[in-house]
Amino acid sequence: MLIDFRYKALDPIRNNVNWILRPLEYVMMTPRNAIEGASEYFTTRGTLDKENQEMKVRQAELSLLANQSEFLLIENQNLRQLMDLQKQTPFKTLPVEILFNPPNPISQRIVINRGSNDGLKLGNPIANDAGILGQVVRIYDHSAEVSLLEDRDFAVPVQVARNGLRAAVFGTGRGNPLELRYLPVASDLEVGDVLITSGIDGVYPPGFAVAVISRIERNADKNSSNVLCVPVAAVNRYRQALALLYDPQYDAKPSVVNKSGSSGPGVMSPGRRQTRERGMQ
Amino acid sequence: MIDFQSGYILRPVNPLFIYFSLLGALLLNLLPIGNYGWIPDWLIICIVFWNIHQHRFVGVIIAFTLGLLMDVHNSDLLGLHAFSYSLVAYLAISWHRRIIALNVFTQALHLLPIFLLVSLFPVLTHWILSGEIYWWALTGSVQAVIEALLWPLATRILLAPQRRPIDVDHNRPI
Repeated sequence: MLIDFRYKALDPIRNNVNWILRPLEYVMMTPRNAIEGASEYFTTRGTLDKENQEMKVRQAELSLLANQSEFLLIENQNLRQLMDLQKQTPFKTLPVEILFNPPNPISQRIVINRGSNDGLKLGNPIANDAGILGQVVRIYDHSAEVSLLEDRDFAVPVQVARNGLRAAVFGTGRGNPLELRYLPVASDLEVGDVLITSGIDGVYPPGFAVAVISRIERNADKNSSNVLCVPVAAVNRYRQALALLYDPQYDAKPSVVNKSGSSGPGVMSPGRRQTRERGMQ
Repeated sequence: MIDFQSGYILRPVNPLFIYFSLLGALLLNLLPIGNYGWIPDWLIICIVFWNIHQHRFVGVIIAFTLGLLMDVHNSDLLGLHAFSYSLVAYLAISWHRRIIALNVFTQALHLLPIFLLVSLFPVLTHWILSGEIYWWALTGSVQAVIEALLWPLATRILLAPQRRPIDVDHNRPI
């Protein structure tokens, strides 16, 4: 146990055991899938009609937004070029399916049906249509385990969507609300503010909803405030989610320094963004 | 073997039935029900049952192997269930002579601490490794109580093949 906790040396064993276990798990998932399939099959025509209507309205709204967003995207790119800012890195998405959540009293996790063979990497964020769900913490060949936002000391750098105030959201354990830590009393927060990822950590792409502030306790004596939030993405609602394959180290175009062919320790692999060397300078 | 509940002599056990029941319990544990603390751990009931009744077939090694499988399924630290299952198997085997002669409900009471140990072992390990106790997870003791309540049922089901009479003679029952 200690070896696993400290060194992660037993992951190959785990992978092999998983290789045996996974078919059994798939077998045991069939009753649930059959029940869900049956209940979906027997939905009435009325509900389908209603759903269809809602979908149409939603699609109209989204296509309108999409048209606008393309315009905004081009404008944003132009402005960024004018201002000589770095380009925002695009990210790819990979549709995943949530298989089950393993019983575990300490932490809440989910197992998804994509693994390292599908291009998933350790640390990739997982999101659904509402917002960020969690992050890949252990990866197998054909499946991966995702740790959820509410896991203990799970941190996500966020900013308040209303005013751009940056902070970090921390998980406080299974069943407890998320916490926004290290913020002074006077910070401009309100109940109902949406927190979106700020993207400064290079793990989460910016602009994804994470949580909504549910309660604020301002403590003037200690100049600190307890801010509790609720994650926006519910785990148990849908079985589908998206893995965001995002690596901000890779830029759209290779940097100028690399093109000129200058040698030395500063040169990195082509396409890599030029960053300052680590250590003393 | 003597069935202490009824006083009859039991038929010899079929090893295939033992392994089949263990596999069944493992599959029940793999059911994707969700992450609820109270769902009983079918596998440990089955392991402890066979440890007490047939400790020559199911011992610490089988308990360890099945625990390893549960570790991978539950995404726990590798060895958490393996260690707690084998510890409990050892306890059950060393107590089996005492426990087997008792009434079924008294047996359940005796086995409650064993099930509690399995349920609370992850919390204790987490406490030792990270130094903070996770109080919410102590509700796992409900699981142990449910497992103990299921013990009479498990005895009934798992001993049923051995309780079949060899040749039924209604005129002269034994």
